[in-house]
Amino acid sequence: MPKTKGYSMEHKTNRWGWVFVTLSTLLILLFVFYPMIQTLITSMQSGMGSNLSFVGLKNYTRLLGDATFKKALFNTFLYLIIQVPVMIILALLIAVVLNDPKLKFRGVFRTAIFLPCVTSLVAYSLIMKSIFADDGLFNKMLMGLRIISSPIPWVTDPVFAKILIIIAITWRWTGYNMIFYLSGLQNIEPSIYEAADLDGASAFRKFTAITVPMLKPIILFTTITSTSGTLQLFDEVMNITGGGPANATVSISQYIYNLCFKYSPNFGYAAAVSYVVVLIIVILSFIQFKIGGDKREH
Amino acid sequence: MKAKRILAALLGGIMMLSMAACSNDGKNEGSSAGSSQAGEETADSLTIWAWDDTFNVAAAKTAIKYYAEKEPDVKVNVVSMAQDDIIQKLNAALSTGTYDGLPNITLIEDYRIQNFLTSYPGEIKELTGSVDPSKFADYKLKFMTDVDKIYGVPFDSGVTALFYRTDILEEAGYQEDDMEDLTWEKYIEIGKAVKEKTGKAMLTLDPSDIGQIRIMMQSAGEWYVKEDGETVNIKDNQALKDAVAIYKEMVDSGISKQVADWDSFVGAFQKGEVATVPSGCWIASSIRAAEDQNGKWAVAPIPRLGNNEKSVNSSNLGGASWYVLENVKGADTAVKFLAETFASNDDLMNDLVSEISLVSTLKSAGELENYKKENEFFGGQKVFEDFADWTEQIPAVNYGLHTYAVEDIMTEAVQSIVKGADMEKTLQNAQSQAEAAVG
Repeated sequence: MPKTKGYSMEHKTNRWGWVFVTLSTLLILLFVFYPMIQTLITSMQSGMGSNLSFVGLKNYTRLLGDATFKKALFNTFLYLIIQVPVMIILALLIAVVLNDPKLKFRGVFRTAIFLPCVTSLVAYSLIMKSIFADDGLFNKMLMGLRIISSPIPWVTDPVFAKILIIIAITWRWTGYNMIFYLSGLQNIEPSIYEAADLDGASAFRKFTAITVPMLKPIILFTTITSTSGTLQLFDEVMNITGGGPANATVSISQYIYNLCFKYSPNFGYAAAVSYVVVLIIVILSFIQFKIGGDKREH
Repeated sequence: MKAKRILAALLGGIMMLSMAACSNDGKNEGSSAGSSQAGEETADSLTIWAWDDTFNVAAAKTAIKYYAEKEPDVKVNVVSMAQDDIIQKLNAALSTGTYDGLPNITLIEDYRIQNFLTSYPGEIKELTGSVDPSKFADYKLKFMTDVDKIYGVPFDSGVTALFYRTDILEEAGYQEDDMEDLTWEKYIEIGKAVKEKTGKAMLTLDPSDIGQIRIMMQSAGEWYVKEDGETVNIKDNQALKDAVAIYKEMVDSGISKQVADWDSFVGAFQKGEVATVPSGCWIASSIRAAEDQNGKWAVAPIPRLGNNEKSVNSSNLGGASWYVLENVKGADTAVKFLAETFASNDDLMNDLVSEISLVSTLKSAGELENYKKENEFFGGQKVFEDFADWTEQIPAVNYGLHTYAVEDIMTEAVQSIVKGADMEKTLQNAQSQAEAAVG
């Protein structure tokens, strides 16, 4: 910084700017980058509890043959591939419907759909678990309507357990994404729709040719946050199925937890697994930027 | 503009407050537990961690009452916490060497203690000299002993028993005599009759918790690891293979009800949906909680593996013991507390028998007055005497370090075998996976 006598207004603001930036930079260094580097170092070590010793890349080679890790990875990607698109499309459709100015009680509907995402993850997981229990509300309802004759084993059957997890996350997060789309929709100039009306475009055509392209940056944003959120999935699996039956629903985050706290604690190997998650999130975000972000450069 | 500033100031204030609150929290926990000041081995207050309010926590509270008569100056608190939370907190704190907020005494499950002793050397206090090994059952001491050094005070027995509903079995045509000295093969046969005549399931099975297989395996003196506690013993473990075959038969024959967790397991027998509960004796307190079933239950020895000559009608499931943390201030006081209570006090044990249905691992427990009482809930049976007899017959095994890591691999293997996968091949796979996990 140039040192001149008597700071001008500009210098003063600059100085304060630096103070603010330094503070947050220091905090990020301390609480984000330092742990990341420390984790990388830990991931090169192995051993039980506090008896860690340096093993180089052995943890990463062990990953290649670890069937439970592969299962956790498979489960997590299954949630991702099915749940994220379903949720994004659902959120988009609901947002478009609720954005219609002619719709009555819009506020009530918006609140109702947004409400799930202010509930605590653990609380809603436990409620989901009780609703979908063998003698829970959902099974009782289906049996009362004579749709099924015996209760669906939502938690003890590997396939239904996965479906249950997907239903739960979708319920919790659809409203959250809907809010982004609603705010995006309000930024679309109404005259564009008017012009389309004059040209005689159908509602579906307006949706695909105007709404979706105009919302592209927001769709990209929600897809990335949902993707990384799903990759870090923990609370729901832990509380609804506990990863069961027999690891059929275990997620990567839960496997990391198990390695640290359920099995013989091996923090080195757990750190290696968490680095795989970091790597996957980086790669996926990169791909999504490449596919969805190119047009924004114009 | 002004509003923004006020908002910023408010936010800043909130942040600072919350930070201050955090650090305060730490201090409070520290002082209540007696923080770690090296060199100070005595303290005037102690903290105990335990799980299960109706069982372990209640036991600790009774022990505190006894100790207060002897040492009124020492204040002892017990904190009730889920077992998983205790494990997680101990792991997090011991691996980083921060002792603030840790308890002086903690309960640790027998399956896990070797793990803690190996993972964190020097953290769990040696109690040799304060605990008389000749007073406790041998199988129990084995978990917490390293050559001659004893690290814990044995507590409850995990001796297994077959709890059964006399009324349901009678309806299916079986008397109490038929339930003695069963084999699992015969048990399944009875189960089929029960299912056919009463429509009720014989037992519950939880696909994520294969305690049933652990019971059968230990009844033949085998475990997931060999005697050294380290060599994985899955693919050539005959007892395990026999156990898995029985498990598959239990599912295939339709005599089992699938449950998902502890609550649904307990709920099933409390609601009268199953005819039997083969489990550890500590489940008695939960069975007795269903007061409407008073007098309808009886207890028989656990069945044995009919195909396996080594298998006996006795095994173990769970069970825990008390440990002192070496580096938390007040370790010596804590040792004294345990020595005066759980390690020696017969009166305390006698009270606990009636209060929480404790099956103690003290050898002298059989002489306790309350042990000889007839139990009204179990149709007048002297259940504690039976438990004590069976405890002596439990085949001792070395649980080693990795029970839960191997168990998780095994739950998957068992489920795929139940679904029809080849047993030899699946166990071979499980063996190599387990070897990688413990290596």
